[in-house]
Amino acid sequence: MSGVVLRDVVKAYGDVVIIPKLDLEIYEGEFVVIVGPSGCGKSTTLRMIAGLEMVTSGEISIAGKDVTYAQPKARDIAMVFQSYALYPHMDVAGNMSFALRLARVPKAEIAERVQRAAEMLELTPYLDRKPKDLSGGQRQRVAMGRSIVRDAYCFLFDEPLSNLDAKLRATMRTELAILHKKLERTMVYVTHDQIEAMTMADRIVIMKDGVIQQIGSPREVYTAPENLFVAGFIGSPSMNLMDAELTRNNGALYVKGQGFELPVPGRLQERADTAKKSNIVLGLRPEHFSAADRGNGAFAPIELAVDVAEYIGSSQFIAASVGGKNLTAAVEVGPDAAPMESGTYYFDTERLYLFDRESGQAL
Amino acid sequence: MRRIDSPARVWGHYASLIILAIICLTPIWVMVSTSFKNEVVIFDAKPVWFFFFPTMENYDYILTRGKFDRYFVNSVIVATVSTFLTLFLGGLCAYALARLEFKGRRFVANSTLLVRMVPPAVLAVPAFAMVVTLNLNADLVVLIFFYTALNLPFAIWLLFGFYKQIPVELEEAAIVDGASPLQVFFQVLFPMMKSGYAVAGIFTFRIAWNEFILALLLTGRNSRTLPVGAAGFITDTGVEWGRIMAMGTLIVIPPLLFTFFAARQIISGLTAGSVKG
Repeated sequence: MSGVVLRDVVKAYGDVVIIPKLDLEIYEGEFVVIVGPSGCGKSTTLRMIAGLEMVTSGEISIAGKDVTYAQPKARDIAMVFQSYALYPHMDVAGNMSFALRLARVPKAEIAERVQRAAEMLELTPYLDRKPKDLSGGQRQRVAMGRSIVRDAYCFLFDEPLSNLDAKLRATMRTELAILHKKLERTMVYVTHDQIEAMTMADRIVIMKDGVIQQIGSPREVYTAPENLFVAGFIGSPSMNLMDAELTRNNGALYVKGQGFELPVPGRLQERADTAKKSNIVLGLRPEHFSAADRGNGAFAPIELAVDVAEYIGSSQFIAASVGGKNLTAAVEVGPDAAPMESGTYYFDTERLYLFDRESGQAL
Repeated sequence: MRRIDSPARVWGHYASLIILAIICLTPIWVMVSTSFKNEVVIFDAKPVWFFFFPTMENYDYILTRGKFDRYFVNSVIVATVSTFLTLFLGGLCAYALARLEFKGRRFVANSTLLVRMVPPAVLAVPAFAMVVTLNLNADLVVLIFFYTALNLPFAIWLLFGFYKQIPVELEEAAIVDGASPLQVFFQVLFPMMKSGYAVAGIFTFRIAWNEFILALLLTGRNSRTLPVGAAGFITDTGVEWGRIMAMGTLIVIPPLLFTFFAARQIISGLTAGSVKG
């Protein structure tokens, strides 16, 4: 089986178990982003794939070869570090060609490969500069160039954009996506930034406390979060989660809490019927609020007491409360609208989520 | 913003620097000038500071009739070999202390320098007793051994600080790039550690080159080093200042050259740009 496969991988430092048991299959040529809060074990997972950390037990295979106990250089991987880790005493060309020189690749070929990577990353004018004479974005590109020239089977990225400013990060995100298209290599990317995960990934792996919470395409994890953690983690601003219970009114099923009562959509009826009625968490994404009833029958009214409305152009972020519980809504009202005030808003009930409070699992 | 100093301040600044320079340079001038004086001028009741007729007779004597060449070779051997050993062993220890996890690491790292605080004079008698008990011949190897032991704590402490500054990611990047442990050390770490090794080398070389008490006790007729040789001009019949100073002047030159050479390796901020801080 090709790609990168982790089977029953456990990582512990002494008595402290970082990763209890992890199974993950990354297909060949796929761009997988591992995302999660700090300390969730995502970097450790990446470092185990790289061979910089040894697994406590379990198996890792890359391109069908068991590499569980192989040295990093035997794994056919290239890695970009969060801190770039450029060799300060070598110029850009020296940094990029270091691995090739170690592998005793013929000089002419090294020159050609460095040239090609430099062109791809627009680094050609800087090839004889030292890292200290480069800007943050250029250093980042050198770090990437260093792995590109390797032509490795699998590329590993450990939060490579987290040291860049917001604008540069957005640019580099696009460049990385383009790079993946060009190279068609397996890429594993670790980040704590869900926007990076959503924008670049073919599939996202969401981790918490060393356990995978959900694996799926960006669309899947956004539209069908499997549990409370994923629901709260993916999406920006994050999903509003409120304690609620299920009630029946005139035969129809409602989800009811302090200050709201919303009809349960058809897709959830069956599962809601069998769930414990009193122990429910309701999930409402801020972007599914609306200032007006869109009139397709799915929108239900909800009273919001607005604390403050933030102007962000064509939308407004509203910090409000319902029944004493804080909530965020993002309503599209056009760039000329006055700051939103308390009153009746509407929620697209087709897009509400229900979770079992005890298990945290989605209904 | 740069402050513009008043002329009085600038003059005061330069005046104090000039006074400091005079304090530092006077003994050196006395040494160098005395080495070019004959006995009559040296023992003149009125000291002659600048204007005298220079003579080479002191140099002529120590270079042709003394054992200067042997002492010089001894000193060079002792200083270079012990410096090399100190840097080699010290580098390994410092690396281990900075990077590897083992029991007592913190204690060793923090207490290393304490050992250096013992003055060599205190060690002289135990060192001598040790050499006699172990029946070691009074030769250069013994001296090299003691100088290495003496300088190791300082070298370890200094290099430890330098190693700690190097981000571990650089080593990991090299490992992923396919470097063996030796390649990681020589192609990635060592070039960045040049400053550290240069500083440690300057200190170690100077101490080994100038050390007197242990050298006096632990060397024999044929294994004397230059400082002990110079002391040989203090005789029962008097102190031969001209020759001592000529020898002193020659002794100063090699460490000076070594320092100039080594200091060129000292570049601050060598890891600049390697990782985002």
